[in-house]
Amino acid sequence: MTLTEIVFLVFAVIAVGSALLSMTSGQLVHAALWLVVTLGAVAGCFVLMTAEFVAWVQVLVYVGSVVVLVIFALMLTRQPSGARSAEVTGNRWVAAVLGAAAAIGLGATMVAGFGGEQIEGRRIGTAGSIGDALFNDWVLPFEILSGVLLAALIGAIVISRSGSDR
Amino acid sequence: MGELLDAVLRCLIVLGAFLTLPLLVGQMEHKAMAHMQSRVGPMAAGGFHGWAQLVADGIKFVQKESITPAAADRRVFELAPAVALVPYLVAMLAIPLGPFFGQTNLIGQDLDLGLFFVLAAMSVGVLGTLMGGLGSGNKYSYIGGMRVAAQLMSYELPMVLAAASVAMAAGTLSLVGIAQEWEPWWLLTQLPGLVVFFVAGLAELQRPPFDAPLADAELVMGPLTEYGGMRFAMFLLAEYAGIVVLAALTTVLFLGGWAGPWSDHLGWVWSLLKIVAVSFLVIWARVAYPRLREDQVNALAWKVLVPVALAQVTLTTVLVVA
Amino acid sequence: MSGSFWGKGLLQGLAVTWRNLTHRSVTAHYPDVEPDLPPRSRGVIALQEENCTSCMLCARECPSWCITIDSHKEVIPAATEGGRDRSQNVLDQFDIDYSICMYCSICIEVCPFDALHWSPEFAYAEGDLKDLTHDMNRLRTWMDTVPPPQPLDPGAEQGKELDSYRASQAAEAAEAAQPAEEES
Repeated sequence: MTLTEIVFLVFAVIAVGSALLSMTSGQLVHAALWLVVTLGAVAGCFVLMTAEFVAWVQVLVYVGSVVVLVIFALMLTRQPSGARSAEVTGNRWVAAVLGAAAAIGLGATMVAGFGGEQIEGRRIGTAGSIGDALFNDWVLPFEILSGVLLAALIGAIVISRSGSDR
Repeated sequence: MGELLDAVLRCLIVLGAFLTLPLLVGQMEHKAMAHMQSRVGPMAAGGFHGWAQLVADGIKFVQKESITPAAADRRVFELAPAVALVPYLVAMLAIPLGPFFGQTNLIGQDLDLGLFFVLAAMSVGVLGTLMGGLGSGNKYSYIGGMRVAAQLMSYELPMVLAAASVAMAAGTLSLVGIAQEWEPWWLLTQLPGLVVFFVAGLAELQRPPFDAPLADAELVMGPLTEYGGMRFAMFLLAEYAGIVVLAALTTVLFLGGWAGPWSDHLGWVWSLLKIVAVSFLVIWARVAYPRLREDQVNALAWKVLVPVALAQVTLTTVLVVA
Repeated sequence: MSGSFWGKGLLQGLAVTWRNLTHRSVTAHYPDVEPDLPPRSRGVIALQEENCTSCMLCARECPSWCITIDSHKEVIPAATEGGRDRSQNVLDQFDIDYSICMYCSICIEVCPFDALHWSPEFAYAEGDLKDLTHDMNRLRTWMDTVPPPQPLDPGAEQGKELDSYRASQAAEAAEAAQPAEEES
């Protein structure tokens, strides 16, 4: 095992561990903050796989904005701090079993499909190379995705305004 | 071995700059703000016009008790200052100062994605104040935390867009590359971007006139209400380190970094002078303008800065392609 | 200033603060430099014991009841044979409690014998509330700091005694002039 693989393993364990802690935490704020650790560890994994642009976008967008949005939404809708603020229903065991089954199923599919393969012609994930890939090979999905995001944005505005008298 | 030593030395120099430059900015704020208000500021500490005031403040903070409120979320409360402070140290690693007497750039590490790295690091710092607001077990902190979340999220977009405009004009995301590609006429074509970046940066740092989250007439001290002693000093250091990072970023992106006469020997001097000038602007804005209300803050971000930033990006695209 | 444009207020704010920055500040550096006090500054009340007859006017008129006076009469035997014995008031206690005094100067204005005077001394802060009651001896020491009386304003009344003195002087001069006229 090379040094890179060892560090990757460490990051992966951190990511999975903090995800578990996030799900089982009794307090909502703690759950959100464990999520930050998970996303940060995933960004670390990206860096180790030389996808540095994606790593910093992950930090900037996910950690910097999405988690802040999640916490903001929590603050607006319910009291997120204090013990037992993360309401757990009786379905959590069913959810845990389903989650484990989904994880095992996905993992098995990945290993069966890609196990033992080596990636050919891997490019270093700098901004330039990603820009090349996006605008040469993947331009159509890129444009469709931006259309989907625009639709989501407009839909959110419409839904949030439909409650008020206009 | 030589590389490891080099890396350690660079980290130590960046740490030294991180600990001293914010203090210099803080002292300048004491004195400049005082004279702008027709008074003299601290005069006693250190004998000569109170130069050692912040040293005295540091000693005062160190010897104070750090209290954790009973209703506070202990872990979150205690970690918040560190989460607010460390990202600025990390961001400083990637900002270049300029050539140092003929040698290569004074920089922690020249990253290809330097600009993105610095912006990402700054956006993590937001979580620190948010954690402080949520974890304090205090209504004022809670409301302050909500204001922090709304404000910092709103202003990240114009900041990233303005920075992206410069990156487009330079054709690279590396901060060294951007400073090297800079042309004097960019002062004119990137002027809206400069204004947007500076204003959005002020709001990201929660500096007056954008300190609605910390409004001390309304919220005691917002998310920082329950903090005292060394933890409060960490938050204060984070604010001034943020000013230094913002000034450094503005300098490198929009003001040409180390451009000036004899820049291959004295480039770092020009950089530092520009950083001091931008920090002075930050302090000047604090003294001259009243605090914006919370709705005004959000309206400014979404209705003014985002359209101007988008217009700037369009303008830059036209200029680059043409 | 030509009309108003967007950002005019912003520029004015910057201009005002810049002007303040570039002009000398008016701060007085107090402990290193004594303050420049106006002429009739009220700092502390001084007592000239010899003038006091313990008439109690000041103690009675004080709105805060901060003056405490105690005295006794001493008999001075007659100077001549078969004359009347004189009695004289001797002060035993004259305290002013500066924790209550509101510096209204009614006691000084009311004293018919000019026993109380203003002094501009202000630095008599104490660590204990009891020490803020100044007794007779301490009030005497403040007399050394009382400045000489300020000259009156140009158009002011000079006071009843001076006016009647001048009137009598004028009358005498007129009388002296008249007989001289009559004689000649």
